[in-house]
Amino acid sequence: MADQAPSSPQASSLTVRSIDKRMRSNTIFNGICLTATLLALVILVVLLASILSQGLGSLSLKFITALNSSDPHKAGIWTSLVGTMVICLICALSAIPLGVGTAVLIEEFKPRNRYLLWLHGIIDTNIRNLAGVPSIVYGILGVTAFATMFGLFGPMNSGKIAIGQSWYDQYQGEDKQLYYVKADGPRDEDEQGKPAEKGMTLYLPTDSGIGLGKEATALQWVTEEEIAPRVAAIEEELDAFEDAFRDGISEARDGRRGPVKADKAKAEAIVDASIEAGTWKNPDTSELREKLVGLVSGLDGKKGVELIKARKEAINIAIDSEYAARMEGVITIGAPPVRVDTKSWYHLALPFGRGVLAGGLTLMLVILPIVIVASQEALRAVPGSYRQGALALGATKWQSVSKTALPAAIPGICTGTILAISRAIGEAAPILVLGGTGFITSPPRNLMDSFSAMPMTIFQWTKEPEAEFKTIAAGGIIVLLIVLLSFNALAIYIRQRSSKHQ
Amino acid sequence: MSDTNVEIADLLGTRRSQSAQAFRERLIMASLIACAGITVAITLGIVIILLTQTIAFFSPEGHLDGQGEVSVVSPADFFFGMEWNPLLGGEKHFGVWPLIIGTLKVAFVAMAFALPIGLISAIWLSEYAKPKIRNFIKPIIEVLAGIPTVVFGFFAITFITPYLLRWEWWRVRITDENGNYVKDESGNYLTEPAGLFGIFDIEVYNALGAGLAVGIMCLPIVISLSEDALRAVPKALREGSYGLGASKFETSVRVVVPAALSGISAAFLLAIARAVGETMIVALAAGASPVKLINQGGLWDNITSAGALDESVLPMTGYLVKIFTGDAAHGTVEYYSSYAVAFTLFIITLGLVVLGNLIQRRFREKYD
Repeated sequence: MADQAPSSPQASSLTVRSIDKRMRSNTIFNGICLTATLLALVILVVLLASILSQGLGSLSLKFITALNSSDPHKAGIWTSLVGTMVICLICALSAIPLGVGTAVLIEEFKPRNRYLLWLHGIIDTNIRNLAGVPSIVYGILGVTAFATMFGLFGPMNSGKIAIGQSWYDQYQGEDKQLYYVKADGPRDEDEQGKPAEKGMTLYLPTDSGIGLGKEATALQWVTEEEIAPRVAAIEEELDAFEDAFRDGISEARDGRRGPVKADKAKAEAIVDASIEAGTWKNPDTSELREKLVGLVSGLDGKKGVELIKARKEAINIAIDSEYAARMEGVITIGAPPVRVDTKSWYHLALPFGRGVLAGGLTLMLVILPIVIVASQEALRAVPGSYRQGALALGATKWQSVSKTALPAAIPGICTGTILAISRAIGEAAPILVLGGTGFITSPPRNLMDSFSAMPMTIFQWTKEPEAEFKTIAAGGIIVLLIVLLSFNALAIYIRQRSSKHQ
Repeated sequence: MSDTNVEIADLLGTRRSQSAQAFRERLIMASLIACAGITVAITLGIVIILLTQTIAFFSPEGHLDGQGEVSVVSPADFFFGMEWNPLLGGEKHFGVWPLIIGTLKVAFVAMAFALPIGLISAIWLSEYAKPKIRNFIKPIIEVLAGIPTVVFGFFAITFITPYLLRWEWWRVRITDENGNYVKDESGNYLTEPAGLFGIFDIEVYNALGAGLAVGIMCLPIVISLSEDALRAVPKALREGSYGLGASKFETSVRVVVPAALSGISAAFLLAIARAVGETMIVALAAGASPVKLINQGGLWDNITSAGALDESVLPMTGYLVKIFTGDAAHGTVEYYSSYAVAFTLFIITLGLVVLGNLIQRRFREKYD
């Protein structure tokens, strides 16, 4: 520029100075701009570094596969990882058809009627404005529309089951045996996995499905250690029983080595004598007695080996029956039964309650505008000549859309949808409104089951005062970011593959 | 003869399939309209739910509160009230302004951070950056945009507040009123974090830290939307400016930015709406005490008393999280108050977004 400066020295120096000044301001501005842009980069680096430094230590296979727990050293992300996957699946399955359908209607079927056109414009504007609504408001809509369904269908369902007029919690022992415990009502604070308390009244379901079999009042369960002395006492008594039983049988054999010859009366006498020797107060003795008598009388004509087997069996029956009856109220030896929900995965009830289905549908509300706008843009990017070509060949409007425009727009729709779903994965506010502060330890088992999603668990952990929880929250964030990154990578892959094809 | 037969059969067949096709088309149209209808129903649903529950909140019979007493709230109490203490015992007040001011404080900090930096970055990306560098920076900004807000909340309370604001890496000894150091029972000096620049005492939960995190969250939105607006300005305008001898700086600031002003303001309004509606960051980092406004004081007293950014604030979204995560039982006055707050929040954010879209549509400079 200085070359073209006028020849007059004064003018030249003026221009040069002002150009210098202007170029300097340009350079300074460039510097400011560059710093501002780099700030975004620096923030990202600091953010990732701070999270990695806090969270990498807690990251392990155990952390990923462990259930949530109130103990930060035991807690893992599995509960909410599964929860997130399930709600995102529900969210995608509902948002994609709805979103793409709406986008096709708006982009491809512009009505000619003036009033319809006006309505069309309203829908279009409405979607643009919906995108700016805070996600927590969608959460409130989700609670009212899906969880409680405006109260139209009575109170919210829960993990409890109704039998007649009463509600019952379900508990499951280690032996997979189900027990019911009477509950106050259908409202449910989720306490799945919570052990039963000693002294609870348990009801045993009938064999033919739900219903109350016998009532087992104030049953108790004990651990191995607790019953060790009692087991010792019982074994002593069993020894006495076995001795008496053996004596009885030898007497019946009458010194012969061959088969026992014992008629029914004799067998009864043997059994009664041995039960007497055991000094039991077993309510089920009659049953045991029947079995033993049957065994002993059945020994008629059997060889010695069978006799030994039969005696062992008889004693086993006696031991089993003794354990069952003598340990008054022992339902299981080991851990107490825990509360469970044993409905099948597709179990549905109205209203939906605070379950995964309501969660997925609420997230659908959040991402629907994003899916629609992305699909609209993808459809708009398809050249009009595609549709005109199809129409010229005699295709109907829908044929031209479904055979030309829609297939051409699919990569764009996929990219937009995947990005929208990754938004849903990270969304916490609507889930928080829907799920409340429920402390959930088990992954959802059915569509109505309460759940926790990763962002919500991270929020709860971060809220905890203990420093250990902050550490596992950082670990959870790393897992969340990895899931999100893989989703974004998928979107980028689809975008690049489709751009290569075109 | 046979030819005619075939023709007729053909014709009939075609006709039949045409009517079947027409039926199918109508069915498809109906399902597409149903899809669009659901999106309209969502908006209507939000408005109806918020409106009916808000009206229920203002019912003259009042509602039971947590202590079993009946509270009656009038719309005037709510929309013009200057005091908010719904959960504490004693006299309850449901004036929404402390919550709005709490939201505004956080949004103000966020926008003071994100708007200038975002705009300048957008100018650099669209006007100065070489395509290679641009292609490097853009994905980074997209990654920042994809990070869930709860992560920014975590960042705010584990990094921004303790390290950037409270300076917890620099602990100073506590002095009593006589200037002597305070010791504990075992004779060790008690210490406290130095605070910002060693001067400003900043609370653990504060508007500044939450606002900065919200600002970081909004930064990618401001950058990418403003950049879109700047890049939509036709090349001819820039070339004209260069042709008249303007520098890049002058062209950017005096030609490109004014030409893209409608898009930039729409971007700003959208970013403000996002900041106002942001929930997880404020729920984690902003705290839980409503701003104290002075009912009798003048405007200035209120602004200065409300203006402190170092204190814990309770924004609207923070209150909603508090209520919906179990602070209030269903059907109590506190529960209904959350709907009224949500309604206020919805109106504010919707207003901002609609205004943004209007500006973009109405004032867009058309160059083609």
